[in-house]
Amino acid sequence: MRIQGLLMAIPTIFFSFLLLYLVIWNLYFSFTNWSLLNPHPSFVGFQTYASLLYMEYFSISLSHSILLSVGTVVFGNLLGLLFASLLYFLGNEKMRSIYLSLLIYPLSISMAANSLIWLWLFNIHIGINWLLRLLHLPVPLWLSSPSTEFPSLMVVVIWAYAGLSLIFYLAAFMGVDKSLIEAARIDRANPLRILFRVLLPNSMNGFIVSSALLFLFSFRIFSPPYLLSGGPTNIFLQTSVVYMYYLFTTEYFAQASAVATIITAIATAVVIPYALYGIKRWMKHE
Amino acid sequence: MSSKPGRVNPTVKAAIHQLVIIIFVVIWLIPIYAMVINGLKSNVAVYTTPVLIPPSSPTIEPFQAVWSSLSRPLLNSLILVLPVAFIATFLGSMAAYFFYMLSNSFSRVSSFVSNFLFSLISLATFIPYQATLIPLTKLIADMGLLNTYWGLAFAFFIFYMPTGALLMSIFITAIPPRIIEAARLDRGSDWRIFYKLVFPLSLPGFISTLIFNIIETWNNFFIPLMLTTTPNMRLIPVTVQSFTGGYATLYNETFAAAFIASMVPLGIFIFLGRYFIRGLIALGTGGKGV
Repeated sequence: MRIQGLLMAIPTIFFSFLLLYLVIWNLYFSFTNWSLLNPHPSFVGFQTYASLLYMEYFSISLSHSILLSVGTVVFGNLLGLLFASLLYFLGNEKMRSIYLSLLIYPLSISMAANSLIWLWLFNIHIGINWLLRLLHLPVPLWLSSPSTEFPSLMVVVIWAYAGLSLIFYLAAFMGVDKSLIEAARIDRANPLRILFRVLLPNSMNGFIVSSALLFLFSFRIFSPPYLLSGGPTNIFLQTSVVYMYYLFTTEYFAQASAVATIITAIATAVVIPYALYGIKRWMKHE
Repeated sequence: MSSKPGRVNPTVKAAIHQLVIIIFVVIWLIPIYAMVINGLKSNVAVYTTPVLIPPSSPTIEPFQAVWSSLSRPLLNSLILVLPVAFIATFLGSMAAYFFYMLSNSFSRVSSFVSNFLFSLISLATFIPYQATLIPLTKLIADMGLLNTYWGLAFAFFIFYMPTGALLMSIFITAIPPRIIEAARLDRGSDWRIFYKLVFPLSLPGFISTLIFNIIETWNNFFIPLMLTTTPNMRLIPVTVQSFTGGYATLYNETFAAAFIASMVPLGIFIFLGRYFIRGLIALGTGGKGV
């Protein structure tokens, strides 16, 4: 009986181990000097990593990636929480599901398509600035100014992923025992009080899932920084993933592998605690 | 009837509540609204009218212009994505059942194995898959599968089968262990228990996972970019990207191209969204149960 269960898991285990192989492959070649100039790589220890430290692009792109992810976690959670609260306290269930769909639809569209549309919306003459000007609101320069380029990228990513956070908070709120809410209502607690005293303390799962996914999804995002910048070498929008792709296209294979290994290590540092202490432990409570 | 001072009339309150939601919804809809209306503008109108103003004389010219270069990639995506997502989700569900049995047996070895496998499928789900670009391309090339459906399917399985297993592992916990225990005591084989009991009971979760996988696979840009070079094997997101090269080369066709690339995942989302949401809500309640 056990054997049959194991056999059923074989395909997934096979492909998972293949992934592990790819990760280890990267790790191995990150210790070589493989590039266009060195087609026969030899082992150079940490030299490739050391060379990255001298590359301005490396540290800038890494800090962009981290800033983008942290920003997405903070603003995504705040917006997701706000949306979830607004929808949770709607009396009408049908309306709730319609609004929910309208707020999470960006999750279903390819980031490449999203980015193309946002490029137009960020046009300072005929984009959203046209509307902002009509409303006498301040008009940012969006992608046309170095200081607003990165915030513009954040806007796109948060617009796309806030729905993720909304879903998990709303799911967590829906899971809170209805009798607790009823009891609070009988005590004439207002919605804000119910939110902070009853819903939030019981929504730890929502917070964990939402934060972890927002971080990981924004950390690996590629099309928006690539497309909004008009190329992989834009110093204001380059993220680690874009930088790695750039190293690959210019055939600095060992350096690309080293950046890939660093990206993987950061993602792993978030994924494994999240998997084991977040999802897995909460699954076991059953 | 006057309300007490300091207390807002409930009708007013409800109206403000609705208004706040509607403001956010309208903001969230701006990009899709822009995509639809600008796809119907002529080349001149796109450059001269504000993005948020609908066309005065709608035309389907941009759609006709992009169709010839997008029809084949669209077909490729359709042929590939649906079966790949289904197989990945189904085989992933089988693994989820195995992990479930493993984590409910209390030996130390199985707990170590289960933690290791669980970490691995989580990593496969969430890793920035671009990081595997060089070894993955090399692997598929060594197998002689560049520019083939099989090569793309194989690469997608590496990421989306573990995703299926991970999401299904979460959904399956909504099934009380006693039900499965009872079936095991009845000497049901694992396959039968899975097929007759676990799979039907977790069907909403399965559909939700399937939709997630379809949308992720469909929108995956990087893997087809690396593994296909011939125009005949291009998938849709890669082709869309070719409609831009930064500011200078944005045409009105970008809207039509974006629309064609988005219509399948959006359609799935619109028609199966209820399942999707119900499945995700089960995710919250399935995990709670403390």
